Amino acid sequence: MKVDLTTTIKNLKFRNPVTVASGTYGTTDEYAGYVEPKKLGAIITKTITVKPRAGNPMPRICETSAGMLNAIGLQNKGLEDFLKNKIPYFQKLKVPLIVSIAGESVSEFSKLAETFDRLKDVVKALEVNLSCPNVETGGVNFMKKQERILDAVKAVRDKTSLVTFAKISPELGDVIEIAGKVIEQGMDGISLINTLRGMAINIHTRSSRLAKDFGGLSGPAIKPVALRYVYQVKKEYNVPVIASGGICDTRDALEFLMVGADLLAVGTANFVIPAATVDILKGIEAFMKKEKIQDLGKLRGSYKPACERGEGCSR
Amino acid sequence: MPKKMCDEVVSILENRKVNGKYYKLTFQSTLLSQKVQPGQFLQIRINQGNDPFLRRPFSYYRVIGKRVELLYEILGRGTDVLSKKKKNDELQIMGPLGKGFCKTIGKKKRLLVAGGVGVPPLVFLAERYSTDYLLIGTKSKLEVLPKHELKKVKAEILYATEDGSYGSKGMVTALLEKIIMHEDPRGFFIQTCGPKRMMEAVMALAGKYGIEGESSWDETMACGVGACLGCMVQTKEGLQRACVDGPVFKFKDLV
Repeated sequence: MKVDLTTTIKNLKFRNPVTVASGTYGTTDEYAGYVEPKKLGAIITKTITVKPRAGNPMPRICETSAGMLNAIGLQNKGLEDFLKNKIPYFQKLKVPLIVSIAGESVSEFSKLAETFDRLKDVVKALEVNLSCPNVETGGVNFMKKQERILDAVKAVRDKTSLVTFAKISPELGDVIEIAGKVIEQGMDGISLINTLRGMAINIHTRSSRLAKDFGGLSGPAIKPVALRYVYQVKKEYNVPVIASGGICDTRDALEFLMVGADLLAVGTANFVIPAATVDILKGIEAFMKKEKIQDLGKLRGSYKPACERGEGCSR
Repeated sequence: MPKKMCDEVVSILENRKVNGKYYKLTFQSTLLSQKVQPGQFLQIRINQGNDPFLRRPFSYYRVIGKRVELLYEILGRGTDVLSKKKKNDELQIMGPLGKGFCKTIGKKKRLLVAGGVGVPPLVFLAERYSTDYLLIGTKSKLEVLPKHELKKVKAEILYATEDGSYGSKGMVTALLEKIIMHEDPRGFFIQTCGPKRMMEAVMALAGKYGIEGESSWDETMACGVGACLGCMVQTKEGLQRACVDGPVFKFKDLV
């Protein structure tokens, strides 16, 4: 039996739903020795900012139970370098590229959207990162004021006809409410979730295990939270959703598919298992064959809510 | 097309304590033993599942044919779990990763300064390439490697222990200065690996005497392949990734 993993979002066709979460797949070919990038449904880039960013001091990462904290701080070489040195790589690769963007101001969001709008042969969609926990401006702290989020997404929408996803997290406030508002501003879909802010302390020095007090928690530890938000947002608005948050293996991927995720972004798991994406792809195929499901659409959103089973509803 | 990288499940041949400080782990792998340079490292997934979650980096200690040896100390949860692994237990290992030490140093005398986790890669280097001195700094005699572990090293091996229980008493950098003062300092090439404070002191001495060299500089890392940007090192060229641009950097390139 041949299974069809094709995933369609708006006018975009992906050969499969498996992609990589922003910032976990390097800037170009870091994982190409382990995974044939062409096998991925899409690639989501590390977040690009207009100006180069050096990021935060070391240590930037530490392991916590079933996950890790990071405070990288959106280190990247900026828009100009991306266009000159990274875009040509992706042009050759011919895998749908979703560029993650973050601005420190509305005009920077505009500039990023406008720039990538002109590169439609390579860039297929934008993920508007509104929820980085590790930067002073443009991240979670800055975006706490909801009008800033709305100004940013509006600026992006005004400048591009590319498919757009807003990447939000519970750090910003009520995810369901914010998702509704950014959809109203014209975002095509939502990317859920970003890391959750956390802490870890070295008990001998009584100081943070990171150079900063807080970092973003990722990995299996946050998966149940991510799954719940993907489920709720999908149910509430039925818009395209990129799911991320602790997707490590086939079982995780299937759970997210069952609550309706359109794309599955493998994140921190790449650091541990470089071939996690292709392992998951094979696993999804094997599951579908075993369950005799030919079309991924039949699996997507097939979760049976408790209330339908007569066992009381969650909101 | 980047070269195909190795991520392999291996069986442990041996995992035992060799002295008061180090454990030695041995396994066989055709791929992980190929084209290894001293100073390169491996990323070990200690358990399948989420505890420990991230891989842990280890430098190569010795490669003989297909046999790979690692020497490690218990520094945290990952190495503690690793130390309890038995013969035939499996580990998932990626490698060889990173850039190793420079092997050709012209007519200069190779002088190695090692401490802590920096001892294994420098012993490896001294076994493979002609070396004049291998200086090892430890806290006490308990941490001194058994003689048979060093029998393939052809260099003069000198220990400095902080408590004076073996070799000369004091810091390894005092020993280093004594050696370089006896000869033309510029005739040496120093390669160092160990605690940051030790390497900083070595680099300060090298600067004072105008000696060239390299140090293996690591930071906590997650991926080991240049993706996560967790292990950045400040160099004159800007921030570089310890895991792929290093871990070995030239003294003159480090800030």
